[in-house]
Amino acid sequence: MRHDRMTPAERLNALLNGEPVDRVPFLSFILGFCAKNVGYPVVSIYSDPVKSLWAQVWTREQYGYDSEPFYGYASYGGWEFGGEIKLPDGEYEQAPSHGRFAVETEADIEKLILPDVSQDGMLPLAMQFSHLQVENGFYPSVVVGGPFTIAGNICVVDTLCRWLIKKPELVHRLLRLATDHVLDITRHWIDTFGTGKVNIQIWEPLATNQIISPRLFEKFVLPYQIELHEKLLAMGIKYILCHICGEHNSNLPYWAQVPMGDSGIVSVGREIDIGTAIEYFGDDYIIAGNIEPAILQTGTPLQIYELCRQAIEAGKHAPRGYALMQGCEVPVNTPPYNLYTMKKAIDNFGWYE
Amino acid sequence: MATEERTQELMKVLYDAVINMDEDTARDISQAILSEGIDAFYAVNNGLAAAMERVGELYANSEYFVPELLLCSDALYAGLEVLRPHIKVSETSTKKQIIIGTVEGDIHDIGKNLVKIMFEAASWTVHDLGRDVNLQKFVDEQKRTQSDIVAMSALMTTSMLAMPKAIEMLRAEDRDVAVMLGGAPLTREIATSYGADGYAENAGEAVKEANEMLERLKKQRG
Repeated sequence: MRHDRMTPAERLNALLNGEPVDRVPFLSFILGFCAKNVGYPVVSIYSDPVKSLWAQVWTREQYGYDSEPFYGYASYGGWEFGGEIKLPDGEYEQAPSHGRFAVETEADIEKLILPDVSQDGMLPLAMQFSHLQVENGFYPSVVVGGPFTIAGNICVVDTLCRWLIKKPELVHRLLRLATDHVLDITRHWIDTFGTGKVNIQIWEPLATNQIISPRLFEKFVLPYQIELHEKLLAMGIKYILCHICGEHNSNLPYWAQVPMGDSGIVSVGREIDIGTAIEYFGDDYIIAGNIEPAILQTGTPLQIYELCRQAIEAGKHAPRGYALMQGCEVPVNTPPYNLYTMKKAIDNFGWYE
Repeated sequence: MATEERTQELMKVLYDAVINMDEDTARDISQAILSEGIDAFYAVNNGLAAAMERVGELYANSEYFVPELLLCSDALYAGLEVLRPHIKVSETSTKKQIIIGTVEGDIHDIGKNLVKIMFEAASWTVHDLGRDVNLQKFVDEQKRTQSDIVAMSALMTTSMLAMPKAIEMLRAEDRDVAVMLGGAPLTREIATSYGADGYAENAGEAVKEANEMLERLKKQRG
């Protein structure tokens, strides 16, 4: 293992500021794995901020990745807007999932109000976690879905999909609420921790072309995504880490219109080639990706090493920088050596001499 | 009694109603079809099922996506609701059966529901176990129904690990049960390594893959 010449904080800072780094940074989208790694139940990542933070800190130390601990999950918004979530407790579960949606019918939309960001849903736990981040030298972070993903957490997805075509005004109402809610959360975090001191991650898995067409993306997702990002940056958020999850190739011309900050990070999965990501975003933003989580779980170290080599070589000289990252969350049952292999690939191919 | 020309005219309207996501027209035309003495089974096959086959092509070609597929299926079901009670039992006696469900630990079912729609449109009998299905339920339902295929879906990398266990449990009861898998984290290679006989990349291809899989297995087993 080659010895780093920078600390993770120095490397991340340099990456974000467009300054030279010693090697390709290693960002990890990793939560439940950390719990299992240190002997905690997976649910503790979401239910116990202290255990969550330390599981992530220790796992980060062990595997040598640069990204900082964070708190968030893909089904965020369901609970906060009046639905119910189920915390992971079974052998095959890794994250909170929907128990009951707040919106199942048109009539339910009328009852929706913006959540109280100081007390609703998981937000108190997220705030507790952010205080722990600060106490331990990390940036406090807000990690939520984009407006469309949050809309799909508030409303049954099948229904949302039908309304996109048959009742677009209802979808706009959900998107309006989702956008305003993310802005409320961010404002609350900034009021608590200070302007310019809060990091943001926005994940957008639902707007994938595996669900909606590029035409519907342009009509419904894009306007709210642009508005959200512009307002977040205007609040003093320096950069946004935007996780574009899944098959978004036909949406890329639209994503390219969304501001990510200076310098934002665009995180992509296996569906988006690193070279393609650089074409659309590389002049302005850092590219991160795109190692497939399913291969991390089921593949051999050699397969993963080769995927990482290809990604590093494709991204290493991206104009605004590149970080090796998983394309989505590291599976809980990833063989440990498979995760280690990512760092090994960086050591062998990721150095800038 | 409708003439051949009139029958084809009504089939076209029914077909277009599904393609155009027009639930009301699908329902109204199905009523008209019955009132003009056209065979309900013929209308289901040549109007509704034919339209859904085309919808499947549009979906596989990325011209239709999930919202369009759901709305087309609403029109399909509106027509089926009218026509199905008038289908003679003997016409359905050779229907193939499939058990389908999202595996234990996984509550994502939109893909599974789309696959279910395609199989129902193709006149299969579908035993839908829902989502977060306890693995033993797949075994019990197969014992009960003796279906042609057991199909399982998973969207999460954690829940996909339930699939090889489920296949092992199914094969312990019935060595020859045909199993098909689907879901975002899967590939054909992973499905094969889990012991599955088939894999469908998306709802649009699922019925074709199922039929080809059964044909392949029939040849292998002599």
